[in-house]
Amino acid sequence: MRISWGPQHPMSGQVRILIDTDGERVLNIIPDIGFTHRGIEKILENRNVVQGIVPIERMVMVDTANIALSYVRAAEEILGIEPPKRAQYIRVILCEVCRILSHLYGFGLAAEACGGYPAVFLWTTADREPFLDLMERITGTRWSYSFFVPGGVYADFPDKIKEKFLATLDYFEQRLEAYRRAWFENKIFEARAKNVGILKPEDALRLGAAGPNLRGSGVALDVRKDEPYEAYDEIDFKVVTRPEGDSYARLMIRYLEMVESVKILRQAIENMPSGPYRKFVSPLRRLPKGEAYTRVETARGEIGVHMISDGGTKPYRVKIVSPTLRNLYVVSQMPKISEVLLADVPVILYSFDPWYLDADR
Amino acid sequence: MVEATESKILETIKSNFLQDIEEAEVLRPKRISITVKSEKIVDVARFLKEKLNFDYLLSVSAVDYIKENRFQIIYYVLSSKNKIVLLLRTNIPRDKPSVPSLISVWEAVDYHERETWEMFGIVFEGHPNLTRLLLPEDWEGGHPLRKDFKLSSSEGV
Repeated sequence: MRISWGPQHPMSGQVRILIDTDGERVLNIIPDIGFTHRGIEKILENRNVVQGIVPIERMVMVDTANIALSYVRAAEEILGIEPPKRAQYIRVILCEVCRILSHLYGFGLAAEACGGYPAVFLWTTADREPFLDLMERITGTRWSYSFFVPGGVYADFPDKIKEKFLATLDYFEQRLEAYRRAWFENKIFEARAKNVGILKPEDALRLGAAGPNLRGSGVALDVRKDEPYEAYDEIDFKVVTRPEGDSYARLMIRYLEMVESVKILRQAIENMPSGPYRKFVSPLRRLPKGEAYTRVETARGEIGVHMISDGGTKPYRVKIVSPTLRNLYVVSQMPKISEVLLADVPVILYSFDPWYLDADR
Repeated sequence: MVEATESKILETIKSNFLQDIEEAEVLRPKRISITVKSEKIVDVARFLKEKLNFDYLLSVSAVDYIKENRFQIIYYVLSSKNKIVLLLRTNIPRDKPSVPSLISVWEAVDYHERETWEMFGIVFEGHPNLTRLLLPEDWEGGHPLRKDFKLSSSEGV
């Protein structure tokens, strides 16, 4: 029997999932994506680099800093500019806050998908608030910051909020401890997610799982460590992996990454150097002929931006290598590599933290 | 500074496919770009995967060089061992857009080749399921990422 789920459905995002079943056993999972295809790659060909920052952020609204960073870095590489040290630290701060915001959101949804956890989603939504307030103080907006520009960041980091920032991190650490007790020591959650949707490391690489899903299968790939960008090489943090490869491990990775992000944020706030935060680059400046492929570790995995310039003010071609598109391919292959029951489909799907607008672009 | 690993990989590829490589360079540390003849792309890809450990496929894309009447197809592959990204490219004539699929080498090209097919109209021979991925099923507007596809709003920008 074929079950069609979506594109209007009670979870987040627009997607249709077709599920072929034989009784309880799932034979095929076919994600039908493209409902939010906006042609961002085409739009970017018709904008100069600064104008392009806004459209590309619409890929993942919850993780805009990381997405914008990949694009801005590609432009900077072609232009041959390196932002000042202080700007690099500010970028790291925004990226890590976005990672926390994104993981909180994805985590809440995954808890919903496991059934019977409305409280968890309310908790994570409430705990996003203090971070959104901080973002408002730094960037002026709570979502979609458009704060990174070629040459640095749009405005300086207000040093007077440092204390408030550190206090928020203290609060958040207490909350993380509460989450651990509420989720990871929860019998229902264990029963729903443990040994469900097992992805072996060789399959994860072969099928192209991205980011936390790869690390949940024990493959320690993380762009922040493999090819440190901005200030990540001056910051001490771990790449967390779990060997199990099941849905529980993938969600555990997101939890552990939030713990690491708090560590990164503390160091970035305390070690942030003083100095300029931006080298001015005119938005009308021509891009020299050339190309750049930049990688950034977003909350959902590695994003790549391949920018090719023919010497005009607008890029000739921008290819966005989307992490969710790769993750959805892995989801579609899950019934072939492990036994999937119908009730497991939402757990598996949301353990991959899909963001369909990211896949659609 | 170009690291030793990148140049070594480049030399290995060059010495094995002397006739088939049109261009090969290290773009910057951790980035290698090679351009091969389209009929040899499967052999080169298999060599990259089996001998040089390029095992993690990131994406597939194309560039429309309309003035030169060619498409360039780019495969982005990562080596999970060396953490090097390799851009495997091939050029095909724009009026005969067809290239062998690499699905027998990297299974993960599935979605990406489908996307490139619908966005550029490039046929990947041997792909088992070349159907629409992002565009609507009844789409008849052409191939959106080709340069001669104009956005209705692009005139004014």
